[in-house]
Amino acid sequence: MPGFTHLHAVSGFSLRYGASHPERLAERASERSMDALALTDRDTLAGTVRFAKACAKAGVRPLFGVELAVEEPAPEPVRQERRRAPVRGGAFIDESTPRVTFLARDGARGWADLCRMVTAAHAGEGSPLLPWADNRGDGLTVLLGPASDVGRALAAGRPDRAARLLAPWRETYGDALRLEAVWHGRKGTGPGSLRLAARTVGFAAEQRIRPVLSNAVRYADPGLGPVADVLDAARRLVPVDATKELDSGEAWLKDAGTMLGAAERIVEAAGFRRDTAHRLLEQTQATAAECLVDPEDDLGIGTVHFPEPHLVGAGRRTAQRALASRAAAGMVLKGYTRSPEAVLYWERMHRELDIIAHHGFASYFLTVAQVVDDVREMGIRVAARGSGAGSLVNHLLGIAHADPVEHGLLMERFLSKRRLVLPDIDIDVESARRLEVYRAIIGRFGTERVATVAMPETYRVRHAIRDVGAALSMDPADIDRIAKSFPHIRARDARAALEELPELKALAGEKNRYGRLWELVEALDALPRGVAMHPCGVLLSDASLLSRTPVMPTSGEGFPMSQFDKEDVEDLGLLKLDVLGVRMQSAMAHAVVEVERATGDRIDLDAVPPGDPATYQLIRSTETLGCFQIESPGQRDLVGRLQPATFHDLVVDISLFRPGPVAADMVRPFIEARHGRAPIRYPHPDLEEPLRDTYGVVVFHEQIIDIVDIMTGCGRDEADRVRRGLSDPESQGRIRFWFAQHAAANGYDAETIRRTWEIVEAFGSYGFCKAHAVAFAVPTYQSAWLKAHHPAAFYAGLLTHDPGMYPKRLLLADARRRGVPILPLDVNRSAVAHRIELVSESVDSSRRWGLRLALSDVHGISEAEAARIADGRPYASLLDFWERARPSRPLAQRLAQVGALDAFGANRRDLQLHLTELHRGARGAGGGQLPLAGGRKTAPAGLPDLSSAERLSAELGVLSMDASRNLMDDHRAFLDELGVLSARRLREVRHGETVLVAGAKAATQTPPIRSGKRVIFTTLDDGTGLVDLAFFDDSHDACAHTVFHSWLLLVRGVVQRRGPRSLSVVGAAAWNLAELVELRAEGGLDEVAKRLAEPVPEGAGDSTGGRRIQMPTGYELHPWADLRPAGQEPSQVRKLWHQSPGSAG
Amino acid sequence: MTILCVRFQLPTVYEAALPGLLGLLEEFTPVVEALPPDGALADLRGAERYFGRGAVELASVIRVRALALHGVDCMIGAGPGPMLARMALRDARPGVTCMVPDDAVADFLADRPVAALPGVGKATARTLCEYGLDTLGRVAAAPLSTLQRLVGTRAGRELHEKASGVDRGRVVPNAVSRSLATERPFSRDELDEDRHRRALLSAAEELGARLRAVDKVCGTLTLTVRYADRSATTRSRTLKEPTAHSAALTRAAYDMYEALGLQRARVRSIALRAEGLDPAEQASHQLTFDPADEKLRRIEEVADRARAKFGPYAVMPGALAA
Repeated sequence: MPGFTHLHAVSGFSLRYGASHPERLAERASERSMDALALTDRDTLAGTVRFAKACAKAGVRPLFGVELAVEEPAPEPVRQERRRAPVRGGAFIDESTPRVTFLARDGARGWADLCRMVTAAHAGEGSPLLPWADNRGDGLTVLLGPASDVGRALAAGRPDRAARLLAPWRETYGDALRLEAVWHGRKGTGPGSLRLAARTVGFAAEQRIRPVLSNAVRYADPGLGPVADVLDAARRLVPVDATKELDSGEAWLKDAGTMLGAAERIVEAAGFRRDTAHRLLEQTQATAAECLVDPEDDLGIGTVHFPEPHLVGAGRRTAQRALASRAAAGMVLKGYTRSPEAVLYWERMHRELDIIAHHGFASYFLTVAQVVDDVREMGIRVAARGSGAGSLVNHLLGIAHADPVEHGLLMERFLSKRRLVLPDIDIDVESARRLEVYRAIIGRFGTERVATVAMPETYRVRHAIRDVGAALSMDPADIDRIAKSFPHIRARDARAALEELPELKALAGEKNRYGRLWELVEALDALPRGVAMHPCGVLLSDASLLSRTPVMPTSGEGFPMSQFDKEDVEDLGLLKLDVLGVRMQSAMAHAVVEVERATGDRIDLDAVPPGDPATYQLIRSTETLGCFQIESPGQRDLVGRLQPATFHDLVVDISLFRPGPVAADMVRPFIEARHGRAPIRYPHPDLEEPLRDTYGVVVFHEQIIDIVDIMTGCGRDEADRVRRGLSDPESQGRIRFWFAQHAAANGYDAETIRRTWEIVEAFGSYGFCKAHAVAFAVPTYQSAWLKAHHPAAFYAGLLTHDPGMYPKRLLLADARRRGVPILPLDVNRSAVAHRIELVSESVDSSRRWGLRLALSDVHGISEAEAARIADGRPYASLLDFWERARPSRPLAQRLAQVGALDAFGANRRDLQLHLTELHRGARGAGGGQLPLAGGRKTAPAGLPDLSSAERLSAELGVLSMDASRNLMDDHRAFLDELGVLSARRLREVRHGETVLVAGAKAATQTPPIRSGKRVIFTTLDDGTGLVDLAFFDDSHDACAHTVFHSWLLLVRGVVQRRGPRSLSVVGAAAWNLAELVELRAEGGLDEVAKRLAEPVPEGAGDSTGGRRIQMPTGYELHPWADLRPAGQEPSQVRKLWHQSPGSAG
Repeated sequence: MTILCVRFQLPTVYEAALPGLLGLLEEFTPVVEALPPDGALADLRGAERYFGRGAVELASVIRVRALALHGVDCMIGAGPGPMLARMALRDARPGVTCMVPDDAVADFLADRPVAALPGVGKATARTLCEYGLDTLGRVAAAPLSTLQRLVGTRAGRELHEKASGVDRGRVVPNAVSRSLATERPFSRDELDEDRHRRALLSAAEELGARLRAVDKVCGTLTLTVRYADRSATTRSRTLKEPTAHSAALTRAAYDMYEALGLQRARVRSIALRAEGLDPAEQASHQLTFDPADEKLRRIEEVADRARAKFGPYAVMPGALAA
């Protein structure tokens, strides 16, 4: 029996069409003893690299192809029935374009043709469509199947028309044309029917074109038909209709025997003898055998292409020489030639240049330097991050800010002669101007060399529930509720989560009501459902980029985007530069601009004095909200214990706060030693040098490299290779032996070797790259400096660019606590962005600055509207404002609600009435008479003004911030009745006391922690400060649901103290405070007591039965830790707990 | 002067029972206004003196009789005017008649939400609430001119009067059921046009049969399409001539449906309502020379008789039989 090759198979990368991952297809092909398999995804080649790798693993030869919608050569004038525009629900998705399968046949040429055609198909507007003009390619084989124009003519019983349509195809592709017969056991003559398959084979014989057999594979295994139905429904945006034609369930990766059976039926139906079936299969096999594309040679896996040297300022010189001269110039410019250690710098520079020359990476460095120069020229803040900061050449070229020699950073961690992977330099730019940077890069190198990187969005549980629910006609309200109650977990864990997660208990009870929902949700797991631009990767290559990668425009900005994702790009040897948009950089830039605008002082953040006492005092006080990297609850706790006093302390602090070091408990010994409570120990006096700065505790990768180098004398580049090997348990054994042998040869005794190895083994894979930490610590220090010296401008920057993990209202509360006056929104004073404003000037000319809220924070304001309002200032009256700023009516109403129009007189509701009438007047309905009193002030209309609670509610609704006062202030009396401690008074409470705390939830996390348990950390803000809470798993049954799904919380817990500044509350019980407040208002304290007396569900403890995920680094992870938790993000909350019918908005 | 507002607890779509119940009320007072599908207003001005009983006592008598004679329970609200009686009905339960005394009207209204006022629909209530006028007390306290700016001159004046407890309404005897409705729900999101049309056909057939059963014709047909997200689209069409002829109703319903042009909308139910009902003998009918129309009407007549004899499913359009 001849073998069989599926020439037409799609994976999940065919968005909302294919139901199996490419890996699964490759595995199944191998299991069903097939030698080769083609991947022909719809409109995309994105799955290619994963497929090629999976095929290599499974021992199957991969064929590459794509299925494209093709424009008809001469579109016939079809009688277009104009359909009425639907009043609701939108029009049907049009999928009527014929689709054709293209296979790359002729090596690199075929692959380049595929790339070109996919790029061309995506170039137009709307859904991808290959223009007929681009429909050519010498290296391609074309399959015309049931979905092609020829196939459709055959299905319609029009062989004459099919023959006519075939002519242009035959003209273009000649002998490379095949007719594809598919039998899915359907009735009638449509696609997948036996009669169409037979007609296709018969027509092929008649036209003397070779037929092939395929199964138009959509999924790897039988039984996945319902999943395909759900995908169809999600793609067409309609529910699954059981009374219509559903997926046949036959489009799976059938084995050769079954396909032979199908071939026999088809040829018999076509009127040939049964044994002709072998000929059909042979033709298929022959077609497969012709398609020869080698993943390594033809796709370019493993080769590197840099932009041509003349584009990166090398002129006619070689890149290496240009690099050397630029580095030397940097030496002079930065003044290292005059420093006493000049020799050291020169030596290091030459050594690094040698390594770069060894790999031939000079163009790469020049490229990055060119990009950084361009960015800097545009006045955008830019900083290098990552291990690239360890290279002196990078520093000399101006890519990295920190001096690697001074901070003891090693080049070997970044690049060495023994390191074969591509070096990786990441640059941080201001997030608000990231796209400008992209445009500059594209402008510099041209679209034929630059492309952004794709990022497939895959199905996780929430989206899977939404799509499956909609396909199954579930109630939208139910779908929304179910989706929101899940944490952001993988779709395939849906049922396990229902069983195990305490916050899903209620949902688990009604689980059986939803039929097949759960099964289908799990089946969608990790299938791509869309594709977005990766937020930071940019591909840089020589001019051959477009023949190696398919490119499509991004939605919105229209940047060229490669269809490959981050990992694929690395495998393909495409050079990627990570340009990360960092909001903190934008925030700091805004703060600097504001200070200059208001005071005329120009701050150079890169030159702020190091070691500023006020800055370190601020950091030590742990009031670091908004400071880069040190604002999370865990970091505030660590900073409190560590008490940093120098830049190096910050570097250490950032390095320690990583899952690795926290898991390995490097934090405690370090802090003990630092505060002199424990002696500093070194395994050997030789190791004092690298370990001195960190009190004998290994924190950095660089230290491991040094230790291994010192003990074995192997050189740092080899030591770095050893360090990498440490994370792999297999190679660890070999390294241990090697280490002992070499260290002994260097004269170290067995005891020293044993102790050193313990350290290396324990910390080696956990440590943090010091170059990373130094690069992080620079903006950390800069932001803390701004917070200490220019608080108002700092908050203005933060609120404008919204960095960090906390909702804006918390930053506002922090500003209020630190004595920065919050000035309300006012159309005559507020600008588009947050600004600072002089509040008072005292005799000794110390000036007090306030923070003026921004128009851009008003809900639903467009950029144009905000700019128009800001440009038109000042306004004399409401009418003036209305006529010149031309706000939309809802916007004007919102502005009135939050008091931005208070200056025009009358109360806020009266203003709203006037606005409505102005709106009516503007529409030409007459009523132009405006009741103005004295021309300026608006006359009162006698409506009741907003009450204080309504104002607060309006502020939250419109600005998402409680601008006038903290929202918890309103409940102070009730909280006092309950005996709740404020955050400020909590600081005086002793360890172990039971307290009640309350506040608005600011952040909730379930991070991975050392004990392998799931702990819910949450932060409450009560107006006087922050309370950090931890809920351990014995309290989850009682608390988890409340904590995740309420915004205002009342919590009973026990105070935990670990240091003078370290304080947290371990929660035991939690209630929804909003509910209690309402009970108090309606039924008095007795009702509240009744609610509190309700029994709390007993904690069953760990519901996973001890299941843990073993991390490759060795520590255990709770299966449900490290997820974005259930419920709504606190920053999304726009509503007060309750809205009375009279509340504004 | 006391007005009663009575709401009978009828099983759904059982309007046919209403005339009988109205007859019951007419035993107490001739001034009875039907509020289809299941309510009525009764003016007890003379009855109180005639029967020598208070309004609340009379209400109990009415309830007892309704239960005894018709097996139908009812709720009753009483007040000095029709508006107040209707509002009182909201607080009433079977057996507990809610009465608004003449002298406590202002207190009764003060804390009520504006939407509780008859004649204040969703849109007006939303407008008023936006401006902080969420209770009737506040509406009454707001200047008349401001109210008129908010909701219009006439509506503003009426609103102001109503909120202040001035009830100018009268009970107008009519004894006519003014609308008939029927709904066809789907068990899942239905996009199929054929099935939508089938639902429309069956609803129009039913409405026609019900109209003919009570000898009425309808002047206006209203189509309501409800969607999965609980929103709805409503379209109304005034018929060329008032009719109870199923074919004409179906045609009108199809026209309205086609105008919606629905494609991907997830329809959960389709409802038809016949409005502007008048006695059939008052209806005019344009005669034509086309015998088809005449034939259809006669077939319909025969079909009606067959249905009366063999049940509602004895005769139906072929499209519905499958």
